[in-house]
Amino acid sequence: MTATVDPIAFEVLKHRLWQINDEQSAAIKTISASPIVVEGNDFNTGLFTAGGEVVIAGIGSVVHVTTMGDTLRSIIRRAGRIRDGDVFLTNDPFMGALHQNDVVMASPVFVDGETFMWIGNVLHHPDVGGIDEGSFCINARTIYQDPPRYFLKIVDEGEPSPEVEHTFVTNSRLPDMVLLDLGAQIGAIERARRRIDTLLAEQGAATVRAVMEGAIDTAEAQIRAAIADLPEGSWTGNAWMDGDRVGSDGIHRVALRLSKEGETLHFDFTGSSPQVDAAVNSTYPATVGGAAVPLFSFLCQGDIDWNEGLRRCMRVTAPEGTVVNARFPAPVSISTVGFRWLVTVATAEAVARMFASSERFRDRVCPSWNSSSNCNNVFATTPDGRRVGALLSDHRGSGGGARSFADGFDHAGTITSFASSMGNVEGTEWKLPVLYVYRRCIPDSGGAGMYRGGLTAEIALVPHGTDALVLKSTNTAGTDQTNAHGIAGGYPGAGSQTSVVRSARVRELIRSGAAPCSPGEFGGEIVHLASKDEAVLGPDDALVFYPAGGGGYGDPLDRDPDSVAADAAEGQVSRDRARGQYGVALAADGSVDRAETGALRDAMRAARGEGKTEAGWAPGTTIESPGAHRIGEHLESVACDGGRTLRCTRCGHRLAGGDGRAILRRRPLGAAGPLRALRWGGDSPNFALEEIICPGCATLHEVREIRIDESIEREART
Amino acid sequence: MASGPLSLGVDTGGTFTDIVQIDAGGAVTVDKAFSTPSAPEDGAIESLAGLARNTQRPVDAVLGATARFAHGTTVSTNALIQRSGARVGLIATRGFEDTLVIGRGPVGRVGGLPHAKAMDFLHTEPPAPLVSRRLVRGVGERVTAEGEILAPLDREEAGEAVRALVEAGAESLAVCLLWSFLVPDHEETIRQVAAGIAPGLPVFLSSEIAPRIGEYERMVTTAVAAHVGPATTRYIGKLQDRLADDGLRHPIQVMTAAGGTTLPDGAARAAVSVVNSGPVGGLVAARHLGRALGIGNVITADMGGTSFDVGLISRGAIEHTGTPFLDQGLPVLTRSARIDTLGAGGGSIAVSDGFRLRVGPESAGADPGPAAYGRGGEYPTVTDALVVLGIVDPGRFFGGRYRLDPGLAEAAIERHVARPLSLDAADAAAGIVEVVNGRMSDLIRKVTIETGNDPREFALFAYGGACGAHCADLAMRLGIGRVIVPYGAAVFSALGIALSDIVYAHTLSAPVGLDDEDAARRVARESLDALAGRAEADLAASGFMPGDAAIRYSVEMRYRGQMNEITLDLPEGGAEPGLADRLRRAFRSVYEQRYGASAVRASAGLEIVSLGVEASVVADIPAFAERPSPEAGPGPARRRRIHRRGAAPLDAEIHDFDTLDAGAAIAGPAVIERDMTTIWVPPAALATVDRLGNIEIAPEGRR
Repeated sequence: MTATVDPIAFEVLKHRLWQINDEQSAAIKTISASPIVVEGNDFNTGLFTAGGEVVIAGIGSVVHVTTMGDTLRSIIRRAGRIRDGDVFLTNDPFMGALHQNDVVMASPVFVDGETFMWIGNVLHHPDVGGIDEGSFCINARTIYQDPPRYFLKIVDEGEPSPEVEHTFVTNSRLPDMVLLDLGAQIGAIERARRRIDTLLAEQGAATVRAVMEGAIDTAEAQIRAAIADLPEGSWTGNAWMDGDRVGSDGIHRVALRLSKEGETLHFDFTGSSPQVDAAVNSTYPATVGGAAVPLFSFLCQGDIDWNEGLRRCMRVTAPEGTVVNARFPAPVSISTVGFRWLVTVATAEAVARMFASSERFRDRVCPSWNSSSNCNNVFATTPDGRRVGALLSDHRGSGGGARSFADGFDHAGTITSFASSMGNVEGTEWKLPVLYVYRRCIPDSGGAGMYRGGLTAEIALVPHGTDALVLKSTNTAGTDQTNAHGIAGGYPGAGSQTSVVRSARVRELIRSGAAPCSPGEFGGEIVHLASKDEAVLGPDDALVFYPAGGGGYGDPLDRDPDSVAADAAEGQVSRDRARGQYGVALAADGSVDRAETGALRDAMRAARGEGKTEAGWAPGTTIESPGAHRIGEHLESVACDGGRTLRCTRCGHRLAGGDGRAILRRRPLGAAGPLRALRWGGDSPNFALEEIICPGCATLHEVREIRIDESIEREART
Repeated sequence: MASGPLSLGVDTGGTFTDIVQIDAGGAVTVDKAFSTPSAPEDGAIESLAGLARNTQRPVDAVLGATARFAHGTTVSTNALIQRSGARVGLIATRGFEDTLVIGRGPVGRVGGLPHAKAMDFLHTEPPAPLVSRRLVRGVGERVTAEGEILAPLDREEAGEAVRALVEAGAESLAVCLLWSFLVPDHEETIRQVAAGIAPGLPVFLSSEIAPRIGEYERMVTTAVAAHVGPATTRYIGKLQDRLADDGLRHPIQVMTAAGGTTLPDGAARAAVSVVNSGPVGGLVAARHLGRALGIGNVITADMGGTSFDVGLISRGAIEHTGTPFLDQGLPVLTRSARIDTLGAGGGSIAVSDGFRLRVGPESAGADPGPAAYGRGGEYPTVTDALVVLGIVDPGRFFGGRYRLDPGLAEAAIERHVARPLSLDAADAAAGIVEVVNGRMSDLIRKVTIETGNDPREFALFAYGGACGAHCADLAMRLGIGRVIVPYGAAVFSALGIALSDIVYAHTLSAPVGLDDEDAARRVARESLDALAGRAEADLAASGFMPGDAAIRYSVEMRYRGQMNEITLDLPEGGAEPGLADRLRRAFRSVYEQRYGASAVRASAGLEIVSLGVEASVVADIPAFAERPSPEAGPGPARRRRIHRRGAAPLDAEIHDFDTLDAGAAIAGPAVIERDMTTIWVPPAALATVDRLGNIEIAPEGRR
């Protein structure tokens, strides 16, 4: 029996459901003791149909939206008897959880003896066991070294099960925190259940069901209408991982071709690397969740609800046995900051290209945002014998990519959650045996462009009150290539690096009132860690790390010189870079020397034009709609002679297709700025920058990071 | 004729400056003047002149008879919003100069924004910086989490920092060093140094302004104080001088967001709390009126042109919050009355994309205003919907000050809502009101549930120009049995300001685990003593004896590791033996009430995070006098058709409030028209007028 609801009642009741679900989020944020939940926003809550479709998702991390639905459906499929008052728990990535830390709880709401709907939530627990502290298992080679995977009934017909709770908690290195988190999850469900019961009594089940189904249908219809407005075509995205586990520097790739198929989008990850014997693999549901992120964050804009509607508009092809669809028993405990993260990075690039091809959506172009999750778990035993540990929150000081109309956000947080923030230094020092040396904004860490990428922050700390601080570093990528893509001629932002300084004089310097402000002043030996690495920090060692900056938008020589001067005055861009990368000469008082700037920019354009032209540049955008389509800041795709060419809109030069030619200039990664390929002194043997320059007017149309190995490079270009 | 001593409350708002006088007999007299944003004291003085004319006494006689003059000002708020306060120089611990710039990541950019705006990731432009990066200096000092001085402050280096900032144009100095709330010595040294170098430079120390854990919020709070403090002090001084010239014999009292007033000498320190204090006056008035009516549990609903504000009074106490956002990206560590806001008011715009009907948060404001104003407003608003439904009389809106054009209202609704959703205009108008009522009732549910309360155990006090048309419907949706539209609704904030107590509140973070009971007791004892000392100093500075004030002690606690605290009262203010057990029991009880038994974790350790002392000098206010009987009796009966969605129209009686005497009972459907507001009495409801002039609505009173 389906009731119909008019648009007014629908709006009123849907908001009521939203509010009920938001109460779940409020409960979790209040009760949880995990900084990653309360500050990092790494959780979400949902209301679901009887079949497990997400009706309403909360304001937590959007990466959990589609996976909550997948997990719910797995629970329904595999559960024995489902009774009123049951609460199920699972953290199994092969059932839909992103990785084992993400514990999903769900409980049915019964009406007339049948499951009417589900209430659920997911929360990142700080440690759920496994070979490495914090449960991002950088040493795991198989899933049996990963944390255990559970599928439990933690509340049985309203009766909490102390045995189940004990089993779960006892496997954690941080049992007190995990216990509070379990309480937060169950408490949230109970709060929502009371309010759902009231709503059902008031409105009747048929009406509520109609609203729930209508909510998904409406979001789906809104998204289909948006997709229908895009031009026909396909867009590529890329991301690389440099190092997959402790002791392995293997380089692997996520490859994506995103195509419009009528009113839906097809995400094809064919060409991604084979799965690895390291916990960075992504399961299929995690890959779907990762691909959905840029659309939730950049397309929905607060107008389109976060629910299953988007999923209905996505087709995802991910070949089994690859890093984006790992086959059991591959370890997967790092997935969410491993290949799931890189799926989001590659998708963000493809989606930015897609929006750049549409007049309507060009204001949503953003090529990268927090490209690497530079996660550092630190654990220690305090003098009074307590084990403490946590994932440091500082990686959320990362930069956002530039937009088509303005600079990227400095210290933007994550693309997966608008509220994913850094903890206070004091809050962290109160909880953990560490002393921060600095937390500072890094100049030149945003990718250069007509609009500059957002800046990132660098953090330094030393052990404090412990002789042995265990570090487990899970840095998605970025110690080599950055993945901090720019677009339309913008350069990539800073990479992502964790370093340890051994035998440093930091403590002594702080005591003398001369606290150092960069690792070079620490007076010890700097060891740049691989992207998955571990260390024990002694009293004289320091930890230094920075997450990725944001990529730029457009040719840096098109940036307003006054904006460059303002950046220099505020310390966001160095004078060297202002000159060398933006072609802006600054007078002694910091103002723009216009004459010299003009000459400088002319000379830089002339130097660009000296390169040899080549045929065969394949941009990441392929348009199939008839007619001419603008696809970039100064680039359009034009149909001609049955094929298509790419034309510079400034000078009309044909850059690709037909007899089109462009200048392809290769430079070391460090040409994009400092803190790129730091481990390699800015010049990686594995990757390089490739600049695509217009032979006609010397406009920089694209900058990308390419794999130097020729056979792979061919592939990366398409 | 009024006789002294008088209490005066003056509330400067965006459009009007309201004044309320309460005389010794409890009689309330009100007046309004236009606000004068460039020199707000002019509007305040003008409102006073109006009141004097009204009461047929010269201004100096009114002021001479005034025992308390309390003032709510927007000077601090405006200085902050427009960033027009003092140019702030900031001194931080070396290595942490970028704390404001980094802003804890997105907290500094999207914190405090409504969710719907924050969800639009790519269009969340950061707010203008409070302190320029060029005006920040680091000093090489360091205190640890244990309160140990790892690196002493070098006075010379501090002096160089101060000199550099002054040379760079700093007009005010904020100092925020790591862990300074535990060890304030370095900040105090910097103040001494600064006094030697730049004697007139106002200095704000984080260890005084907000001695609480969390350097970002503490730094924001200190920088806000340094930015708006000087302007606030200057303004208060100017107003004080003019009032003294006119015969006022007491220092004026300044309203704060904490729900009390402070005296001028404390205004600089309290400047952060002066920001956004206006709406809190309404809560104080509601608490007072609640006491008079014997109602301890009150939900306040204030709906104006652009926003809907909800506050809560539980068992006679105003609900507070610890870290309010003053504005986008600016969380501050000041204890403030909790007010939850929704972008829903009479001017909220309704629009549909063919999929959904959205009302607010965009507002047509006063200009162009609702479509019915005829000033070019393209989009329909909630007010337009009420006009089309027949609830608002286009000829009598806002006491007849605005003439509304119902044709324009209907056309706008037709174009932007009815047609996209395939409804007729009247149904669309009803839909707009239903949607906005749904949102508002959801907000009230949220506020009550998050504080562990049930809305059905509360009365709803409705004020603000737009609330009367919605309040009965909200109460019905929430199961609330009693709605009060106060007699003083049009000047409710000013009334509350006139009624406010003088409050000095101090808090201090002193994190300590409860496991080591002796340590916990010692820390609590020392902290409370220090705080009580500060409150006593405040009292003495304002000429009060310790015995003049009521003192309340509180403690903020959490399970170890949590990031949110629960505030508990410490009845005797003591940190005596048995403290730990008492705190454990009290914590458990409040925790269970708020989050449910399933959230209680008896085995988890507890920690004290902060302690608080609040000293209040209670205002001596007489009981409200009865409202005089109206001079005119009811005129000829008027009736109007009120449209409903999916049902036959109603034939409603229209009443003029000014003709209703105490005891009048009006059965719905009916409309009561007052000077500044329109009150809708739905079919099942019964409205009565009490002796104080309040309208009480029982939503289901006819059943």
